[in-house]
Amino acid sequence: MSSLPIADATQDASHTPATMLVCLPSLPTESLLANLDKLSKVFGEEDLLIATPDTLPENMQRPGMELIAMSSERIASGWVLAAADYASAAAVAAQRNAQTVLLLGGDLYGLPTNALRSLVDGVRGQQMDLVLPRFALRPGSGLVNSALLYPLTRALFGANIRFPLPADAALSARMIQRLAAQRGARPGQSASLLWPVTEAAIAGYSVREVDAGEAEPPLPQQADFSELFQSITGSLFADLESKATFWQRARTRPPIAAEPALPLSNNAALSAEAMTEVQSMIDTFQLAYANLQEIWSLVLPPQSRLALKKLSLQPAASFHVEPQLWARVVYDFALAYRLRNLNRGHLLGAMMPLYLAWAASHLLTADNDAARAERHIAETAACFELERSYLVSRWRWPDRFNP
Amino acid sequence: MGQQIKSALLQSTHRVLEVLVNFLPGVLALLLAMILFTLIGWGLSALAYRILIAMRFDDRLAERATSDAPAGIADWSPARSPALLVSRAILWLCILIGLALGVSAFDASYSAQSQMSSFLLPYLTHIAGAVLLFIGGTLLARFLARSVLIGAVNAQLHYARFLSLGVKWLVLVLTAAMVLEHLHVGGTVVGVAFGILFGGIVLTLSLAIGLGSRDLVTRSIEKTMERPNAANATQVVPPSTADDTGQSRLRHF
Repeated sequence: MSSLPIADATQDASHTPATMLVCLPSLPTESLLANLDKLSKVFGEEDLLIATPDTLPENMQRPGMELIAMSSERIASGWVLAAADYASAAAVAAQRNAQTVLLLGGDLYGLPTNALRSLVDGVRGQQMDLVLPRFALRPGSGLVNSALLYPLTRALFGANIRFPLPADAALSARMIQRLAAQRGARPGQSASLLWPVTEAAIAGYSVREVDAGEAEPPLPQQADFSELFQSITGSLFADLESKATFWQRARTRPPIAAEPALPLSNNAALSAEAMTEVQSMIDTFQLAYANLQEIWSLVLPPQSRLALKKLSLQPAASFHVEPQLWARVVYDFALAYRLRNLNRGHLLGAMMPLYLAWAASHLLTADNDAARAERHIAETAACFELERSYLVSRWRWPDRFNP
Repeated sequence: MGQQIKSALLQSTHRVLEVLVNFLPGVLALLLAMILFTLIGWGLSALAYRILIAMRFDDRLAERATSDAPAGIADWSPARSPALLVSRAILWLCILIGLALGVSAFDASYSAQSQMSSFLLPYLTHIAGAVLLFIGGTLLARFLARSVLIGAVNAQLHYARFLSLGVKWLVLVLTAAMVLEHLHVGGTVVGVAFGILFGGIVLTLSLAIGLGSRDLVTRSIEKTMERPNAANATQVVPPSTADDTGQSRLRHF
């Protein structure tokens, strides 16, 4: 199949100001065409600038769409947007004077059409700077997001955005330029992650989320969970460290009083396979408790270690990580990451069994019920807000709490 | 007979005292140089620290680090203060200069007297090298032991601590052998003993892992036999658990 060379945005001097730019990742031809059809369906005859690193087959242009080439530097992660994605989109948006940018990280078929429309309307109609999709996940999905990313972002930056590390986003011109400038601060790190919600928070930009229904966010292609967990958590902790002056002073909304704790379920709705997974996670935590005491003692204060000791003795039926304990553990690890109490790779590796303990506890508490899962996540996030002062104190005077 | 014994004792005492008299000025010169340069170092480092703090050196470097590089020099500085790093570097530089001067003075006061200088000074450098080897080996052993321990725990290996201890002692034994070899202590005995110990530890670890992971290896081989393209599959399987129907049950991301 012959290919049609797409106009290069950098060479096009006679363009008219575009209203909206849609940036697609590198996709197979069939997916690319399907995505163009979907965009055409959502936005009708509206003028769209479509930027893609791919070349399009002949006679496949769509009415109202102008296809332009963008930097092949875009990372085809298909999972979450990386620094290079924002930078490439910002370059095209600046050249074509686009005021709204719809940045898509993966294949579009997962996102409902109304969610796509709402993303763009949030920026254009409601003058938002950043609009992100919110997925209604099953109880066993997006656990790292529920355990760490969402509660930390909400507690420290006052942004109640359920998925702060997006795969798709709609951004205003100033937001995309700000993110591109952040990427400029990290030369040679195309694959490094940026945290748009925290950036928007410190810039005072408006952020909102739109309902994306039950669509599943894309899965990472990297198979090694340990490596992925360390890279995401490390990036988040580094971001917290770089924005410490903001969240220590910021007047975020007052902590919401935590709802009454969910009663322990009898786990009747969990399948045998799910219980096997939960038991495996609890076993990993108990094994870690038996072996990683020396490392945890460099990070955690005695009260937390005592609570973990009690937890390690609990049977699976009554295994429950208190949200307050989890919040303090995460804050202690974030502080140790900053202080370099030990090698950062070791630190994040030693945190993984604790995360698995939270995940097991969450699955047991949720009992395969989406409403219970959401309530548990909200309860956890509320505890992160309540314990925020603990982090601020430890961050300012780490020696006073030296374990 | 008595006179001869007395004379021999007196002569030997005289010789020892003479050696001490020749030796002491060198030692004193060494100590004096060390103390003097340590004091100078303290003074200079304190002065440099005050000047750098007055110049807001830390803040300026931090601003540059945020705009130029993700991890700056502050990450590697004590108490995250590059000014403190510079002042401590000055202190240690002065101490090293003092040591070099002291050793040189010691050498000058001794060189004409005996063969001790030609033996002692090279040996001092060997000792310094051995100390560095020991420190490096110990740090490496601790780092590797922790890496193995954390990796093994996350891989749910129940003999994680044993594996970690094995790796730690392997590196420590290797370090000890290198240090002794560097100091020319023990000759070939050290090499032979090291070979036996190292081989013993490796054999023990191999047996422990081999026997402990027999089921794991069997399952792995069975899977490989059943799925010839398993290597490709591992590259695309997401870090979630999937049931037999391919429906994902648990998604961490």
